[in-house]
Amino acid sequence: MSGGCPFALDIFAEPAATDDPGAQFNFPLMPEGEAVDMGHAPDGTPLFDPRILNSAEFMRNPYPYYRLLRDHYPVFHDRLCNTYYVTRYEDITNCYFDDEGFNTIPKGSSSGVLGNTQLELSGVEHRRRRNLYGQHLVGRSLRNRIPAIQRQARGMIEAWERIDDPRVVSKSNGVGTVELGRAFANEFPIRVVCEVLGFPKEAQDDFYYWYNSMMSGLGGSQTHQQGLEARQHLEDYVEGIVEARRKEPTWLYDEAGNPISKDIITKLCETRVDGDFLSTEEITSNIALVVGGGGETTRGAILNMWYLLLQHAEQFEAVCNDDALWDTAFHETLRHSSSIGGQPRHNTYDVVMHGVKVPAGSLMQMVDFSANHDERIFKDPETFNIFRDDLYSGKILRSGYNRDGRHNHMAFGVGPHLCPGAWISHQEAVEGSRILLKHLKNPRINVGRMPKDIDGESLRPIGLMSVRELHLDYDLG
Amino acid sequence: MKATEVIGANGVAIPQGTRGSAGFRTYEVHQRERVGQSTEKIKPIQLVSPEFARNPYPFLDILRENYPCFRDWLSNCYWVTRYNDVTSIFTDDANFETRPKRWMLGLDNGGSNLGGEVPVLTAIANGIDGNAARLAEQAVSGFAGRGRADLAIEFAARFALELLLNLLDLPERDADRFAGHYLAMKRGVTWEPRLRQRGLEAAGELERYFEPLLERRRADPGADLVSAIATLDREDGRASARDLVVTLLELDFDTLHGTLANLWLRLLEESGRLQSVRDEPRFLKLAVLETFRHSTPVLQAMRFARHEVERFGRLIPEGGLVVCSAAAGNRDPRIFRNPDEFIVNRKDLCHREARGQYRTDGLATGITVGLGPPSKHPAIPEDRPRSAFAIARDTAVTASAVLLDALDDLQLEPGAEPYPVCRRIGEMHACWRLPVRFRKA
Repeated sequence: MSGGCPFALDIFAEPAATDDPGAQFNFPLMPEGEAVDMGHAPDGTPLFDPRILNSAEFMRNPYPYYRLLRDHYPVFHDRLCNTYYVTRYEDITNCYFDDEGFNTIPKGSSSGVLGNTQLELSGVEHRRRRNLYGQHLVGRSLRNRIPAIQRQARGMIEAWERIDDPRVVSKSNGVGTVELGRAFANEFPIRVVCEVLGFPKEAQDDFYYWYNSMMSGLGGSQTHQQGLEARQHLEDYVEGIVEARRKEPTWLYDEAGNPISKDIITKLCETRVDGDFLSTEEITSNIALVVGGGGETTRGAILNMWYLLLQHAEQFEAVCNDDALWDTAFHETLRHSSSIGGQPRHNTYDVVMHGVKVPAGSLMQMVDFSANHDERIFKDPETFNIFRDDLYSGKILRSGYNRDGRHNHMAFGVGPHLCPGAWISHQEAVEGSRILLKHLKNPRINVGRMPKDIDGESLRPIGLMSVRELHLDYDLG
Repeated sequence: MKATEVIGANGVAIPQGTRGSAGFRTYEVHQRERVGQSTEKIKPIQLVSPEFARNPYPFLDILRENYPCFRDWLSNCYWVTRYNDVTSIFTDDANFETRPKRWMLGLDNGGSNLGGEVPVLTAIANGIDGNAARLAEQAVSGFAGRGRADLAIEFAARFALELLLNLLDLPERDADRFAGHYLAMKRGVTWEPRLRQRGLEAAGELERYFEPLLERRRADPGADLVSAIATLDREDGRASARDLVVTLLELDFDTLHGTLANLWLRLLEESGRLQSVRDEPRFLKLAVLETFRHSTPVLQAMRFARHEVERFGRLIPEGGLVVCSAAAGNRDPRIFRNPDEFIVNRKDLCHREARGQYRTDGLATGITVGLGPPSKHPAIPEDRPRSAFAIARDTAVTASAVLLDALDDLQLEPGAEPYPVCRRIGEMHACWRLPVRFRKA
C-alpha cells in the first residue's frame, strides 16, 4: 500500500495569528491623506480590512480610508464587528430622515453609559419628548441665556491671572502662553451646561470627571467600566437634585438679578408626557446626554476651530476683521473636523443598498465624518476653507439644507434626531471665541509644545479625535 | 437616484414613508434593560486577541461565571456561555437562525445548499464509512517507516481532506488543485479581506472545475458525492456546479480534522490515557466523545435573533448576533464535574448519541457545533443515513484505531511543544503541531 499523499501537505502550513501577536491590530502610520495598502481584488478594486478601524493609524488619518469606503464600498459590511458602515452623504441623509426604516436602538449608541436617552427612541415616542429638552436650548430661551454664557467666558479668562500653573498659563518677555484646553475650553461648556441645568457650582469638578469618564467609556472601549461607574455616580447625584427640585423650583437670573426662567431640571420636573410626570430615571438619562453631548463636542469645536484657523493665517485675519465670519468658521470647522463621528441605526426591514443586502435588525453606522468629506457634496473636502461656496452656514435646520449648491454639514445630523444643542453650542463656541480674541493679542500656536505628526516636525492632524491640548502664544500688554 | 430599496419579509417591496407601528419600541421596553451590568473582569478586545486564539478557556470561564449573556460592544454581539443556555439557543429555531457560510463569505452566486437532500446524505455517509479505514491505513503507512511524524498534519489534516477527495472521487492529478481551492474557499469565510477575496476566487475556480465533471458524472454516475448531486431529481431543475460548490462550502470537515488532532493531543499528553484506550478498545469511542466535549474544534456558532426576544436577563434585539460558545458550555461546572479535566471514561457524559435537547439517559453530551444540533427523532429514521455526529464520531474512532494498531511506543517527541491554537480569530481551535516518535508495530 502506498502512503503517497495526493496533495502537498504544505497547504496546511500557514502561520497562526498568535505567532506574531503584535501584527493583529498594528498598521503602519502613513503620511496624512494616504491609505495603507490592504490588498486589491483582481479587477483592481482596493480591499478594505476592518481591523484598520481599530488602529492608531485610522485615529489620526481617517479620511483616505473613508474615501476608499465611499468610492468602493458605500455600504461596507464589517464582518469582524458585525456592523454595516454607510459613508456617502446622500445615503446618510436619506437614512436619517427615514426614522421608520432606520430606527434607533436601545443603548446602541451609548453602550449603557448614557442610559435610556432620546438618542435611542424613534417615531412618536421620540417626537413626544423631543421638545421637552430642545425647547430650552433654542429661540428666546437661548437668547436670554447668551449674557450668562458671555459672563462665564469672561469670568474664566479673567481667572487666568490667578492660575499658578505654568502648564496652563505662563508669561515671560512680554509673551503669554496659554493652554487653551485647560485654561478655557475643557471647562467652559461644562460650566454653561451646569448653569443652564441649574447645578450648584461646587458640583462642577465632579461633573468634569463624570463627563470625561462617560465619554471615554462609550462603545466597546477599554474604559467602558469606568464610564458605567461614572454614569452611576451622576445618576445618584442627579436623583437627589431632582427630588429637591420637585419640592422647590430654582431659577436662572440675569446680571441685574432678575429671574430669566426656571432652570431646565426644574422645568423637566414639571413636565408631563401623556398625563404623567417624567420619571427621575428619564430625567437623569437625558441629563447624562446633555452633559455628555454638551461638553465634549463644544470643547472639541472650540479647540479645533482655533487650531485650524491659526494654521490658516489669511482666514484667521479675515475672521479678526469681520466678526460675522466666526459663524462661518464654526460651521467649516464642524464640517472639516467635528467631534461626533456618526450615529448608529437599525434597519427595520431587509434592505438592499448599493447591491449589499442588509438583513433586518443589523447595526448600520452612519458615518458623519465621511459625509462631511464626501467629494460628491463638498469640493476639495480635506481643505479647511471658511470661504467655500458649497457649505451652508446659516441657522441649523431640521430639514437640512440643499439649495443654490450649498449643503448643511452633518455634525449635528439632520431629520428627527437633529442635535437639540446645535444652537447653544454654536453660541458657546462663537461667543467664547469672540471674547477670547479680545484678550489674546496676536495669537499663534506654540509649535514647540504641540504634538507632532510622524515626520516629527509638522503639527499632528486632528483625525478622529478633537485636539486634546492647544498651546497658544500671545502678546501681553 | 433612489438609494434604498426596502424588501419586506415576504419579498414584496414596501413603499417608503408609510407610517406604521413597525420598528418603534416603547419606552417601557427600554426601562427593562438597566445600566447595572458590570464588565470590569473582561475587556471585549480580549475576545479577539491572540491570547484568546491560543487558549480561549480562561476568558470563557470569566464570561460563563460572571456574565452569562455578555454584551460585547466592540464586536456587536452577545456571548452565551452556559451549557443549558447554549444548547437552548441551538435548538430554538423559532427565535434564532443560523446564517449560511456563503452569506459570511459574500458568495452571492445563486447556488443552493443541497446538503440536506437524502441522496446527498447517503452518498456522504457511504463514501466516508466505506473508505475511512483504507484511507487511514494509507495515511499511516506514509510515515510509519520513519519512526517519527507530525500527527497534526500528516495524520489528522491529511486524512480528513483525503476522505473528502475520495468522497468526490476526483482523479489524483486534480487533487492538489482541488485541495488548494477548497481550503482557500473555506478560509474565506472570515472578515479578512484578502482571505475572503481568495475564497471568492477559489469558489469561482471550483465552479469552473466542476462544470464538465458534473456533466460527465450525470451521463455516467458512480457512488460518489458529485454523481449524487448530478443525478439529483429536483423540482427546480438539475443541480449545477454552483450548487455543488455551495454544498461543499457548507459541509463541515473541520470537526473531523480538529477532533482527530485534539484527540491525539489529549491522549499523548498523559501516558495513562493512551494506555487505557490500548487496553480497552471500546474506550476509544469514549475518548472521541470526551474530545468533542473537552476540546471541541469549532469553538462557537453564530446565531441571529429572528425577532426581539428576552433571554438570560437581556433583551436581544431583532437581528442581534448571539455567539453561542460551545467551548464554554462544554466546560460548564454546572453540568460536568471537573470540566477542565480530560477523562476518557467520564461518568457524567452521555455515551450514546444525544436526541432532542443534547441529552440522553439524563446525561449531557459535548456540544460540537460543526455537526449541527442533535436529531429530534427519537430513533434514526429508516430512510435516512446516520447523523453527521455519528459519522464523525465513528470515523474518528476507525482512523484512530488504525493508528493505534500500526504504531507501538507512541509518545510525544521529547521537548516538542504541541500547538493547539485558532490560527485566526474565528477559525477552529485545533492542535496544529503534534510531533511524535514511535516504533512500527
